[in-house]
Amino acid sequence: MKNKHQGWGWMLAVDFFFAGMGGGMLVIAGIVELFIGEGRTSLVGNLLGPVFMCIGCIFLVFELGRPFQSWRVFMNPKAILTAGAWIMSVAIVVGLAYASFGLNPAWFGMEKLFWQDWNAARKFLSAVGLLTGLVVATYPGVLLSRHKGRPFWVGPGMITLFLLSSIVTGVAAQFLSGLLLPPVAFPGVMQALPALAGGLLFFQLVIWIGYIWVKRTGGTEAEAASAQRWIDGDISASFKSIVMLLGTIAPLILLLQSSLIAQAVGALLVLLGGVSIRCLVVRAGSDRTWLPGEQKYKNRLPFGDEAFLKAWNK
Amino acid sequence: MARYAMVLDTRRCIGCHSCTVACKVHNELPVDMIYNSVTTIGPTGIYPNLHMVNLPLLCMHCANPPCVDGCPTCASQKREDGVVFIEDKKCVGCLACVMACPYGARVPNHETGAVQKCDFCKDRLEVGKKPHCVNTCHQKARIFGDLDDETSDVYKLVHGENPARLLGELNTEPYVFYIY
Repeated sequence: MKNKHQGWGWMLAVDFFFAGMGGGMLVIAGIVELFIGEGRTSLVGNLLGPVFMCIGCIFLVFELGRPFQSWRVFMNPKAILTAGAWIMSVAIVVGLAYASFGLNPAWFGMEKLFWQDWNAARKFLSAVGLLTGLVVATYPGVLLSRHKGRPFWVGPGMITLFLLSSIVTGVAAQFLSGLLLPPVAFPGVMQALPALAGGLLFFQLVIWIGYIWVKRTGGTEAEAASAQRWIDGDISASFKSIVMLLGTIAPLILLLQSSLIAQAVGALLVLLGGVSIRCLVVRAGSDRTWLPGEQKYKNRLPFGDEAFLKAWNK
Repeated sequence: MARYAMVLDTRRCIGCHSCTVACKVHNELPVDMIYNSVTTIGPTGIYPNLHMVNLPLLCMHCANPPCVDGCPTCASQKREDGVVFIEDKKCVGCLACVMACPYGARVPNHETGAVQKCDFCKDRLEVGKKPHCVNTCHQKARIFGDLDDETSDVYKLVHGENPARLLGELNTEPYVFYIY
């Protein structure tokens, strides 16, 4: 039936968003830990990174037709979804272990948590978190870009877009976390995050415009048609108003202001842009390279509420 | 080992949809699921020189099936004889194969949560019978057989009529061939 969804839906897009953002947060925490110093990112941010990935997993499970058999997605080492599931699992465990180094022993009535002196382990975990976070941030793009029959997704451009969006949402989420609970070490990296997010947003804006332009002009006929949806088709209004205006240009301006409130609002808008763009990208995947006569055939299928179908089901 | 293939002679197909119905009935598909559609291209041209083609579509049983590579649970499999099928009990309904298939040959079953598709009626092949759609086609537009058998009709048509493959540029190597 035409109105039943025959492909991925919004829950997968939300999974991509949370997983990407969590991966981005791990990347930021890892870079800061390894190259700047300890304790310079917020504990809340370090904890929320893996927690967001867990939330993403929950959405992924509910997207499945048989959620109670979700453990089976770990079974095919050749499939990208399987690789993503394994690496995300490692990233969650490593991320939580790394965040535990920032826990305040007083919360547990102790003077010190015994593992917090293991500096080498802390560095190792941050390095593994950085690498796995990077993979988690990138893998949805890799997954989509390999779909030969989906003209808007196919090609390596999607990898860059997903990586960028994941990192920028990760930076924004780390910044917001720092507002909730500032980093213990001073000076932290808080003041640098808005400018970093702003720079990444600008880069993302340029890449998006280039991506749509290349699809519209340089690809196949099917790719051009899929890009047209973003320019003046059914996706264009959401793309221009929510993703570009509210999710990219507005935060770009706000993040470069000196006011902390403006920066916080900007960071929140970055997250709105991140989730919106993933919803639109997944929706754009409904376009396949159609076979001759296929669209005409599908348009003739019933919607499901026709009287003759209801009579059939009685 | 056989290598099953199907040739669809569109010159013979009259678009009666008997194959669609036979497939639905024998596979007991819900009303909203079709493995085996027949699209119509045209009529094109100007009277009296009109042209119309009916194009039966089904799983292409590709030699390089992206659906099998993309399946995270190993539910999607390809047999040595080329039949691509889904092991229902392993399918979690992630739709990775639905999205990966460039031919739109896979259909989610909203009642069971799994994905289903044409498997060349593999249960019939095992007892030496042909798929239902082939049996039911009164125009003999569907020719099924072993491509490794030089005496088979399929072998003769594939090597003699220069049939086309759909979306050949994707390198999936479909084993369903079309004669125009």
